[in-house]
Amino acid sequence: MHSENRVSRILNTDYPIIQGGMAWASDPILTAAVSNAGGLGMLASGSMNAEDLSLEIEKTRTLTERAFGVNVMMLSPHLHEIIDLLVQERVHLVTLGAGNSGKVIGKLKSAGIVVAPVIASVAMARRAESVGADMVIAEGMEAGGHIGRVTTMALVPQVADAIQIPVVAAGGIADGRGMAAAFCLGAEGVQMGTRFVCSVECQVHENYKERLVKASELDAIIAGVGSGHPIRCLRNSLTRKIDVMEKRGAEFEEIERIAVGGLRRAVKEGDMDNGSVMAGQICGLVKEIVPVDKIIRSMIEEFTHIFRDHSGGSLS
Amino acid sequence: MEEKVKEIIAEQLGLELEEIKLDSRFVEDLGADSLDLVDLVMKLEDEFEVSIDDEKASNLRTVKDALNFIEKLSRAV
Repeated sequence: MHSENRVSRILNTDYPIIQGGMAWASDPILTAAVSNAGGLGMLASGSMNAEDLSLEIEKTRTLTERAFGVNVMMLSPHLHEIIDLLVQERVHLVTLGAGNSGKVIGKLKSAGIVVAPVIASVAMARRAESVGADMVIAEGMEAGGHIGRVTTMALVPQVADAIQIPVVAAGGIADGRGMAAAFCLGAEGVQMGTRFVCSVECQVHENYKERLVKASELDAIIAGVGSGHPIRCLRNSLTRKIDVMEKRGAEFEEIERIAVGGLRRAVKEGDMDNGSVMAGQICGLVKEIVPVDKIIRSMIEEFTHIFRDHSGGSLS
Repeated sequence: MEEKVKEIIAEQLGLELEEIKLDSRFVEDLGADSLDLVDLVMKLEDEFEVSIDDEKASNLRTVKDALNFIEKLSRAV
């Protein structure tokens, strides 16, 4: 796969598997574990300042010699200092979430950094390509956290037809079957978040992992639709509160305040009732907490098996 | 040009042409989200053969903003 797959080649990895950069949940130990297992681990700047992110990058480098990346949230109050830091540190990959900017992409590219905007529509993908992105991460609304409106199944082939640069599929993928499906739709790589949260190496609170393992596909609901910035997370008393606030027409900022603090409460304190337990719909498939290298190995085995043994498929 | 811009907006957002006023705000009045806005900007770029960068695009809040902006760009060509 390696020499022929554009995503693996650009990322300099064994496999075209990216660990989604998740605010609060991504950390140096998980990131390094994914990179060491042949994928590409990702830190997440979230709302961190440059100094804190710099320490995380430094720590990750003590744990792996392989390439890793950083997810940058474009709405971050520290966006410019974060971008300057990434240029200085020359991390391998930067993924951009929640909005694109040609300026930011140009700056990162001129430092030799691979840039992959997270996109949720064909128009966003075309724009990303036109300002010089190396690949896009097409994220369907099955994903956890901030989401778009189109499913992975429908988004990936339409994006793959619209642009020349490689497409990495995200949202709803947690095993080799999901990865094979994404490749059938035109993706050349996958990004996974929920699956990697339920790994031994991920440092989120044990309550968070256990809740995800117990969750069914129906538990990962969409909260905050009325705000225009919907989030997929597991239903609990926080999501019920948001629901009530929306019904009385609360402003986005008011809802965002309890939601953002909520993610830290869930990840760090293990508060499963008033925390924001972000997870994708595929959480129902994640049944156990296993080491990262086992997740990646079994995915690749399953993926290879599907393409080798079931390439024809039987129609009657 | 005003009619054409309104037509594109109506088509993109699934609205009736009469619903699009010059002072309509994309998000608050016309129900567009950030995905719709990117899509709309691309359509306007294609139609009027102009280029609207992301920073400028995020400043377009009303139909009038979009119209003024496109008029200015087209004149510059």
